[in-house]
Amino acid sequence: MAHPAHYREAHPMVFVLTHWINLISMVSLAFSGFYIHYPFFSGFMGVARGMHFFFMYVLVVNLTFRIIAAFFVKSAVVNGSRQQDTDIKNWLPQEANRGQMIPWLKYYLFLKKDHPLGAKYGVLQKIAYIATVPLTYVMMWTGFSLYGPYMNHPWFESSLALVGGPMNMRIIHYFMMWVFIIFTAIHAYLANVEGFAPSRLIFAWKESEGLEFDPKTGKVVGGKGH
Amino acid sequence: MAYEENGALQSLLAARGVTRRDFLKWCGSTAALLGMAESFAPQIAAAVEGAVLQPQAPALWINGGACTGCTESMAQVDTPDVATIVLDLLSVNYFETIMMAQGEDAEAAKADLVAKGGYVCIYEGTVMTGFEGNALRVAGKPQVEELPEVFENAAAIVAVGSCAVDGGWVAANPNPAGGIGVLEFCKEHNIETPVVNLPTCPVNPEWVVAMVIDVLYLGALEDLSVLDLDEFNRPKGIFGQTIHDNCSRRGHFENGEFVTEFGSVEEAKGYCLYAVGCKGPQTFTNCPIVRWNGRASWCVESGAPCIGCGSANPLEAGGNWVDVNAPFLNRHRDIHVGDWVTQPTVVGAAVGAAAVAALAVHGVGMKAAGRMDGGAPYEEMKERDAKKGGGK
Ligand code: HEM
Ligand code: HEM
Ligand code: SF4
Ligand code: SF4
Repeated sequence: MAHPAHYREAHPMVFVLTHWINLISMVSLAFSGFYIHYPFFSGFMGVARGMHFFFMYVLVVNLTFRIIAAFFVKSAVVNGSRQQDTDIKNWLPQEANRGQMIPWLKYYLFLKKDHPLGAKYGVLQKIAYIATVPLTYVMMWTGFSLYGPYMNHPWFESSLALVGGPMNMRIIHYFMMWVFIIFTAIHAYLANVEGFAPSRLIFAWKESEGLEFDPKTGKVVGGKGH
Repeated sequence: MAYEENGALQSLLAARGVTRRDFLKWCGSTAALLGMAESFAPQIAAAVEGAVLQPQAPALWINGGACTGCTESMAQVDTPDVATIVLDLLSVNYFETIMMAQGEDAEAAKADLVAKGGYVCIYEGTVMTGFEGNALRVAGKPQVEELPEVFENAAAIVAVGSCAVDGGWVAANPNPAGGIGVLEFCKEHNIETPVVNLPTCPVNPEWVVAMVIDVLYLGALEDLSVLDLDEFNRPKGIFGQTIHDNCSRRGHFENGEFVTEFGSVEEAKGYCLYAVGCKGPQTFTNCPIVRWNGRASWCVESGAPCIGCGSANPLEAGGNWVDVNAPFLNRHRDIHVGDWVTQPTVVGAAVGAAAVAALAVHGVGMKAAGRMDGGAPYEEMKERDAKKGGGK
């Protein structure tokens, strides 16, 4: 029993909303995507495509909004503290992350007993979260290259030529779906494996008691479970 | 030039049992094929008419590594129709499969015309570069030895059929014959003769007719932009939209009514062939509009999923339609992981399942390590700080 406290300052309401929208879009896109890939029951193609074409815009607009908001909204520097800084700083590498990559790997491979210290997000977590940004935009690009109304645009036409035609583009789009599925599986697993406090916060915006951290040094300074 | 009745053409048409009305109708659909408004029909009529008065334009029909399927396809323009008249406008001096001349006479006729230049070169089949060019020998020499001159001296090259465009099925993996398309060959030899690519296996004669008109009579030779070619040198009017865009089964596609098995009730009802591997969504041709065999029907209408014979990628090895679309009854192509040939679905599901299994195993470890309830206790300080001998 040693998890950090989870305060609302870590995920202000806007980010709870963007996370929800993102989750719903992703699930809808993956479901309709599986259906478009192979219609495993009948009577749904029109709806599946409509769903896909609706949520692809929602996904991209939501992500773009999330990125812009990162420059204007503040979020907590570390879990277990209410002290905030501009959110984008919590996404980029921070002093508290320095040198912690190897300890995190060792921790998850059971080669290290103690929980590594860090900023709001650990090193691996940051890499994975940041990676979802270009991945989503590439997904958008591959998707628009397959989308009737846009596929003849010179941009998408040349992308199709680059990957060797629409069949290959479809396969890239399809494989990238699996990348997102695997990301989400690992992400949901790691977010919940040590307790549901993080999920209570990001989904229901409910706070949980826990260890207090010093935002300057990143070290434990008290709180419940100290 | 407006369309006026012309005696010479009229008698030609009459001799073939074609009425003037049929002729004009044909001009209209050819206009559409060339990506023009139907109001251009009189212009086409005038062009064809003018051509009848002119001497025939010289042409060479060169066969590379070909199954002569494209020749067959052209030969199905057998009932005397307008298309034959247009093709008659070409004086084809060399056409291996159907010419009368043989042996040295034939080769001499070809050599004469090549020396003179200015002809339209229609190339059918794959350019065979394998075995030092010995994969295809013509008149005792590797064909690739004579091709540079034949292509260089031509006024324009029309590459008919997927083989001529990018090697086609002949170039499919493992491609022992070293098959490539005309465009690639020209590029390798710095030949700048314009190449018009007309893929599909075989070529659709209607497209050849449309190109002949374009190239010879609507000024494409003076101004290539008349052809409105895409980046693969295909006329956009013919290869600009997908089959899926114009398919008569598209309503069933949107309704989610699919054939999943041949011989089923769904097949009898004429449902969409997507689930049995129809490549219509990825294939850019106007087969559903122009159709085949004298406009009688076409693949999907007759019940077969499109196998994507019109997809082309002239400058990329492995871009041929067979490598891109096989297996024909699967939605996606096969992919190669080393020696392992498999489907994207299998790879995706296998990697996804492996990831989930790894997480499950990891979860067991987390449980055993007692970390499930809040994780392990936090370290006092970072390891690197500890190594430095105490933190800040
Ligand atoms: C981000 C913007 C996205 C765009 C613009 C987009 C667009 C498209 C388009 C146009 C198609 C082809 C539909 C058709 O031809 O009927 C498609 C198919 C598909 N999409 Fe997306 N999509 C996006 C995101 C996603 C996401 C996030 C996923 C999954 C997580 C996904 C999974 C799929 C799958 C599996 C297919 C079927 C591919 C096939 O097997 O042929 N897409 N998408
Ligand atoms: C089963 C689904 C999911 C669960 C249970 C889940 C859970 C969580 C939790 C608990 C956090 C907070 C992490 C922390 O504060 O330590 C979080 C944040 C985040 N999640 Fe998810 N998530 C899910 C799906 C997704 C998906 C599909 C994506 C994107 C593809 C995603 C991307 C993110 C990102 C980028 C953050 C950073 C938070 C922010 O935007 O400020 N999540 N998620
Ligand atoms: S049969 Fe093929 S081209 Fe026609 S609607 Fe179905 S998938 Fe599209
Ligand atoms: S419908 Fe498809 S398989 Fe049939 S000729 Fe056209 S491109 Fe080729």
